[in-house]
Amino acid sequence: MERRNFLKLSGTSAAAIAIAPSLITKRLYAEDGSLFQTFEKVQLNDAEGNPLKASKLVKEENYVFMYPHAATPAILVDLPEPTGKDIKLKAEDGTEYIFKGGAGEKGTVVAFSAICAHQLTHPQKAMSMFQYVPTTGKTLAYEKPGVFVCSSHLAAYDPKQGGKVVGGPANQGLAQIVLEIDKEDNIWAVAVLGPDKFQEFFDAFKSEHKAEFGRRGAKKLVKTEAKVQTLKNFSAEIIQA
Amino acid sequence: MAMGRRDTFKLAGVAAAAAVMPSMATASEKKVAKKATGKSVVIIGAGFGGLTIAKALKKSDKSIDVTVIEKRSMHMACPLSNGLLGGLDNMSLSMFVGDYSQPATKYGYSFVNSEVTSIDRKAKKVTTSTAGDIAYDILVLSPGIAYDYEKQFPKWDAAKIAHVAQSCPAALMPGNEHIALLRQLENMDDGNVYIVPPAKGKYRCPPAPYERTAMIANYLKKEGIKGKVIVLDTRGGKFAKGKAFQESWKDLFADYIEYKGFTEVTDVDPVAKTITYTEFKDADDEKGVSKTEKYEVCNLIPINKCSPVIAMAGIEHNGAGYAMMDGYSFRSKTDKNIYVIGDAVTHKIPPSGQTAIWGAHRAAGQIVAQLNGKVDDPKKGLPAKAANVCFSMVGGKPEEAIMVTHTFSADKSGVLKGKGNVPKPKDGNGKFRSKGTAKATREWFGGVMREMFA
Repeated sequence: MERRNFLKLSGTSAAAIAIAPSLITKRLYAEDGSLFQTFEKVQLNDAEGNPLKASKLVKEENYVFMYPHAATPAILVDLPEPTGKDIKLKAEDGTEYIFKGGAGEKGTVVAFSAICAHQLTHPQKAMSMFQYVPTTGKTLAYEKPGVFVCSSHLAAYDPKQGGKVVGGPANQGLAQIVLEIDKEDNIWAVAVLGPDKFQEFFDAFKSEHKAEFGRRGAKKLVKTEAKVQTLKNFSAEIIQA
Repeated sequence: MAMGRRDTFKLAGVAAAAAVMPSMATASEKKVAKKATGKSVVIIGAGFGGLTIAKALKKSDKSIDVTVIEKRSMHMACPLSNGLLGGLDNMSLSMFVGDYSQPATKYGYSFVNSEVTSIDRKAKKVTTSTAGDIAYDILVLSPGIAYDYEKQFPKWDAAKIAHVAQSCPAALMPGNEHIALLRQLENMDDGNVYIVPPAKGKYRCPPAPYERTAMIANYLKKEGIKGKVIVLDTRGGKFAKGKAFQESWKDLFADYIEYKGFTEVTDVDPVAKTITYTEFKDADDEKGVSKTEKYEVCNLIPINKCSPVIAMAGIEHNGAGYAMMDGYSFRSKTDKNIYVIGDAVTHKIPPSGQTAIWGAHRAAGQIVAQLNGKVDDPKKGLPAKAANVCFSMVGGKPEEAIMVTHTFSADKSGVLKGKGNVPKPKDGNGKFRSKGTAKATREWFGGVMREMFA
């Protein structure tokens, strides 16, 4: 290796170190002080690899996809009504962030990281205790349906308020998966807003992840496309209290 | 290899030195081993409450110096442990244990494995048996419960109490007692009796004796033992999740469970393995009939009282030692720098693992506010729906469970109060129990362990 190459390389690594702290905590602060981090821009496709169309979504169906990591599940829902806009939310550590609203023509399409902010319950292949309860449903966790519910400890989150905790033991809301819908009606996942639980999730389920994704596969970033399927298809059993 | 006399001496010398060292360390550190920083929080007890608040404090404000003092060297969780006793599939002791150094290292708090011997509120310091004095700005007491055999059996002397406590483990305090019960269960044979007398008054985990009844019956059925579980109760069928438990007992283990609702245990003979009790016809019967039953396993759950640590702190407490609270908060009524969480409080909320976690989070918010010169409204977020969710396993093949949820609110009496609701699950076919609820039970347990250790 020539000396100039060596210098170039060390220049790169110095830059990497300078960015590292915020990457490690996974908290990049946008100008408005919110918790916001962009990840790979990923297109949401169906099982056959065809683009999912926003206008074809079944209202209030739970759609599961992995984002931003190979093992971190998210749930997309087309709500019956538009979400609120510019809602101020607070993370456990006091950091404020702002939920801009749902995507789509009417602002009804939302996605949230499906890892419960309380104790990390999430949809698994064998079963799911974490899901959106449609407005026709019933839950013990909150006075009204139309909320995300974790049936393990009855945490309830309101998607219309950006995943805010409305019932149960969680201390902060769900992280939002920020979506973009393009002119062709295609859906893209682009970023994560709010306090995510990814690192805790990887720590807590290390052995399960190793069995399913290999030693380092769980943390791999999802690239280009994410396959979407309904929760009832994804999980063998759905348990909802 | 033969050991010469000189070698023996050498060994003795080493042993003597080792024995002296800890006390020397204590003596030299007598002043104050650990000084307060202005933001020092010392937590006594590393159960559900203590471990939760330690992590919650560090997560919300890294600048707080947190020290947890615990006399045990290993954590064992109590919830779901009846499933272990009941021989449910895929249960092992390793599911219930955790090492304290894992969360301490991860979240940056200190763990001290020692026993608290005194608390000096004026000097704001805690004295430990082996780690010197530890100063605090805020003290959190999460010491849990103690058994009150003295109150229940005033005629028993200390030797008899010790004998009964060891031979008839209550197993509300996890660890040795559970392992002893597991061993005793192995001896059960046809015609044998397992006795469960649930505690009178307030005790840890109100559904525990009744879940245990179902799980022991499950064990007997699974092992093909023609034995019996006899419940010597005082509540006449009106206990935590009472209807749900009794429905499951009747449907699943009618031949194995005998429930006596109005009894009073008068004596236990751990040598002859007999228990003597008075059985009453109903709540109005004052005379009753004295009976003696031969048992193989006696799971005597005595009256509970609070851990003596509350009294040691010199803060106001009730007759059973539970701390008097400052309104709806988790602060002591007596001392603004002392908080009490877990089973040691006098709030009217059920003493469960999840309640301890819930209270620990609220106390953490109140402490962080206090340390930063702010006020945290103790009524914030009340009423809290599903603040407590508590599952009980009632069947093994298939695995089935029941549940209760509690809403916690600010009661007119000035303390927090819980109101329970026992729902019928969607997959229960009209019964209180279901397979889905059993899966939720396991997921619930995984969650609380993650709360403390992950």
